[in-house]
Amino acid sequence: MARSSSRPRKRDRKDAPIFEGYRPLANAYDEIFTPDGKPRRGVTEVVRRLEAVGASELKLRQRLADGAFLRGGITFRVYSDSRGVEKIFPFDLIPRPVSARRWDKLDRGLAQRVRALNLFLTDVYGEQRIFRDGAIPKEVVLGSSGYLPKLHGIQPPGGTWTHVSGIDLVRGPDGDFLVLEDNLRTPSGVSYVLENRLVMKRTFPGLFGKVRVRSVDAYPQQLVQALRDLARDDARVVVLTPGQYNSAYFEHTFLARRMGTELVQGSDLFVHDDRVYVKTTRGPERVDVVYRRIDDDFLDPEVFREDSLLGVPGLIRAYAKGNVVLANAPGNGCADDKAVYPYVPAIVRYYLGEDPILKQVETYHCHDPSHLSHVLAHLGDMVVKAVDASGGYGMLFGPRSTKKERDEFAAQMKADPRGYVAQPVVELSTCPTWTRKGAQPRRVDLRPYIITGKEIWALPGGLTRVALREGSYVVNSSQGGGSKDTWVMASDGDEDDLEGAAE
Amino acid sequence: MISRVAGCCFWMHRYVERAENVARLLKVNRSFVLDVPVDDMEKWHPVVIVAGEEQRFGELFPAASAHDGEVVEEYLSWDERNPVSIRSSLRWGRENARTIREVISLEMWETLNDLWHFLRRGPGRRRYRQDRDAFYKRVKDGCDLFLALSESTLLDDEPLDFMRLGMWLERASQTARILDVKHHTLGPSRPGMESPVELAHWSALLYSCSASEAYYKRVPRRPDGMSIASFLLQEERLPRSVLGCLLRARATLERIREQGRREMGDEVAATLDGLIERLRGRSIEMIFAESIHAELTHVIDTTMGVCAAIDGAYFHPGDQVALLS
Repeated sequence: MARSSSRPRKRDRKDAPIFEGYRPLANAYDEIFTPDGKPRRGVTEVVRRLEAVGASELKLRQRLADGAFLRGGITFRVYSDSRGVEKIFPFDLIPRPVSARRWDKLDRGLAQRVRALNLFLTDVYGEQRIFRDGAIPKEVVLGSSGYLPKLHGIQPPGGTWTHVSGIDLVRGPDGDFLVLEDNLRTPSGVSYVLENRLVMKRTFPGLFGKVRVRSVDAYPQQLVQALRDLARDDARVVVLTPGQYNSAYFEHTFLARRMGTELVQGSDLFVHDDRVYVKTTRGPERVDVVYRRIDDDFLDPEVFREDSLLGVPGLIRAYAKGNVVLANAPGNGCADDKAVYPYVPAIVRYYLGEDPILKQVETYHCHDPSHLSHVLAHLGDMVVKAVDASGGYGMLFGPRSTKKERDEFAAQMKADPRGYVAQPVVELSTCPTWTRKGAQPRRVDLRPYIITGKEIWALPGGLTRVALREGSYVVNSSQGGGSKDTWVMASDGDEDDLEGAAE
Repeated sequence: MISRVAGCCFWMHRYVERAENVARLLKVNRSFVLDVPVDDMEKWHPVVIVAGEEQRFGELFPAASAHDGEVVEEYLSWDERNPVSIRSSLRWGRENARTIREVISLEMWETLNDLWHFLRRGPGRRRYRQDRDAFYKRVKDGCDLFLALSESTLLDDEPLDFMRLGMWLERASQTARILDVKHHTLGPSRPGMESPVELAHWSALLYSCSASEAYYKRVPRRPDGMSIASFLLQEERLPRSVLGCLLRARATLERIREQGRREMGDEVAATLDGLIERLRGRSIEMIFAESIHAELTHVIDTTMGVCAAIDGAYFHPGDQVALLS
């Protein structure tokens, strides 16, 4: 009998509201709560519904969600051992909301930026007007390792270079979204956006009926339609993967499945008479569009790396003849180069005659001697990035660096100024995230995915990555990052777009 | 369909079918050695031989291990140095499934993935230690569910046909191997003069092919070695008999040929037809008179040849440009 009296008390404690005791960080913008701890306008209903779940229930559902990812094989491979260990990308159940108004502005800004970058690429591989007009130094662009001089003079069908763009955004202390980086080659991660939503719906079936969130389901069909529009209606579209040992292989199979296309490896394709064919059980068949998830360098051993076994000899010949659409187009690396990034606002103004809608992080390019000396003088307050590195590697995070690390970076920067850019530290926004100590503020970024077809279309929301370690600013999956479902709230009267409306 | 993908379909089902058969074989052998007084050596060594692992096993373990059931079971269930262990087969089956994740259904993938995680982590090991039969049953059930799901969740189309083809050919050769255990355990049979031990062994083989009840329905007399062997080798209606599997493989091949370029499968068809004719054309008495072991070896070798021919015709055809016309 003694036990039964303690039971309700115990349950009460366990079922505490999940945001109980949550304190936003003093110096960062919180995605859900105002500094005095009240839910932000537009997300009060989300907070109320999540609170109703309770802490113990949330823990249980977190386990179910993790199990769903593992059983579904929604994993990425870590290269640390030759067999490749499969891991799930840690998923946090507390969603990251974005208000409808805020998103609509972002949506316009993303479309503007992508439109300008496509015009820029057309120009760089064509007339190169922009250099003559002085909006960006020629050597910054042509000196980029992503610029492929062998492709100068070749224009992709429809003038589309970035069929898929991933634009990384962060949010500063004032709540403004800032572009941190453009990804115009083979941006990855979109499969997690779609899978996160599916798992979220399975884990909180009740929530979606009540809270109005924009759907993300349309992405694969939007993409395949954009690609078909560049060829012909019954075009054969294939997804080209480096193979099952690639860390993003799950995503490649996912996209092929949802796009209704075939997944191929380089050895499945061959080029004859400047046309691309796939080897089938009924003999070779023509391929019209290759959505390739391998890097430019490996695409065609006849033109780029001779030792590439992943690519297809002759693919660039077929592309140059206009016999195949490559998505994304080869050569985009000179537009998402970290050294070109500071000039993107100028690029937007130059091609569109408009002011950029999206702000971006102030950036010092070390090839400019005055910038370099400023950066070297303030190294402890800066984030320094090697322009040719990604995934959170090749980075110096000033406030947390040692003297030795700073000295090493300074020496490297002086030796190769073109190779580095620096930015003041942005106090990334936080979002409540479930930890062993309950809901705690953790820093987040956002990568929306933008498809360039006949129109430019952005997937509502995108991938929210979260730095799971307390105090960390690094959201990359390779370095302890996780992800969250991003909820773009539907505006009033937007009934058709509601998540779960069909359920 | 893409040649490489067709190859993955074929191999995925072969590996899963193989894991299923090894689990079957081990499960039945366990109950057989408990029931019947045979020499220690005869209890487990034959299982290693029919798995085709005699040489590697001999290199890895001291000679005395060959009749240590624990060592043999461990080797055939878990050892990753053994390419036909349950764990190896399922690992490669899943690896193929992962490669063609966009071709198979979610149900198939989750079933295989579940089974793999059961083996890879603690639960499989625990079950193996605590209840060996339940462990083999879990493996067998998982494989059977996976194979059945391919029939109930996929389009009845070329990918499924290549999966079926792999499954039927693997099963034909596995049944031949299971039948051959008898030879390695008790030596050549003397028709009509079987000891109770031999009869028990023949019955165990029937059981391991899930064919006991079918046998009693089809063969209305006292069981004897020759009729059991004939049933497992030649009964066309039995879905695990060698001939039954080969006929189903042949019909599947025909569907593939009808939909595609017929001539690409000519060599495969001819080899399969030869083997089928041979099994149909010879009585069990003739086979016993010569040597059932030799006949089974021929079946296993020819089936391997058929698989190689399929690989050359469909998965790795040589001159692509010549095929363009």
